[in-house]
Amino acid sequence: MTNTTTNFHTAQHIGEIVPNVFDTMLGLRAAIATASLETLPERVSGAIGIAGETVTGTAYIHLSEPLAREITHALLQCTAGQDAGDSDVNDVGGELSNMIGCGLKSRLNDADIVCAVSSPAAIRGAFAVESPPGVHAEKFHFACLGARFAVEVHQQLN
Amino acid sequence: MPAKILSVDDSKTIRMIVKRTFAPYEATVLEAGNGEEGLATAAAEKPDLIILDITMPVMDGVTMLGKLKEDPELKGIPVIMLTAESGRENVTFIAKLGVRDYLVKPFKDEQLIEKVSRVVTLTPKAVAA
Repeated sequence: MTNTTTNFHTAQHIGEIVPNVFDTMLGLRAAIATASLETLPERVSGAIGIAGETVTGTAYIHLSEPLAREITHALLQCTAGQDAGDSDVNDVGGELSNMIGCGLKSRLNDADIVCAVSSPAAIRGAFAVESPPGVHAEKFHFACLGARFAVEVHQQLN
Repeated sequence: MPAKILSVDDSKTIRMIVKRTFAPYEATVLEAGNGEEGLATAAAEKPDLIILDITMPVMDGVTMLGKLKEDPELKGIPVIMLTAESGRENVTFIAKLGVRDYLVKPFKDEQLIEKVSRVVTLTPKAVAA
């Protein structure tokens, strides 16, 4: 987001943070994509809250269940025939949102926008996140392992 | 004797990554899900090193570190802080806590091994013939 009250460019930061998290932790390439992510019946989302005097918001990562499972296998280096449990997949979704949210928080702080982050959470199911009035919502799409995923940032600058 | 490493993190994923990272070495990795559990495990097991997350429920890493430093039996255990926040303010804050080192998430296995090997001796497991 390029906000009129700050020079903080969320799109640019997310475009750097997400590929770095995937490359460093997973050894996977996450490339910026333009195609939209359809609502999936089986979705794993990680979410983390951001709060400060001048900014409040939430950062999400939305993964299809099969992609979330594949990423979990990559992260935990599961061997062939070894399947991660649902709790492991959920935890990885939460941890990815934690790294992305904390990366965003660090860059906000470096831009003198002081804020803190919440503990991450994982959400399963098909849903859409609606923002209340005044909240700026942006969705960023990525391609990884032949599938799509999205990072969504809802942000309100006070 | 294998190095005894305590991983204190509310994320099971991170604890599993730490455990996996040191699997090729003569090392025992103990786990705790928050600072309170971490303190209890540290007191019982006297690890050679603690890898400590900052943001955790029940008791966060900064509080646990403070309690470690107050305990004559535990204050000598070296601590490496693990944080997902790389901002200047956070890094300065961690540097003032009196920890041995810190590592910012996301991290590569090699970075963790490199930091830990500065504190404890990591001996690769003997390869079976």
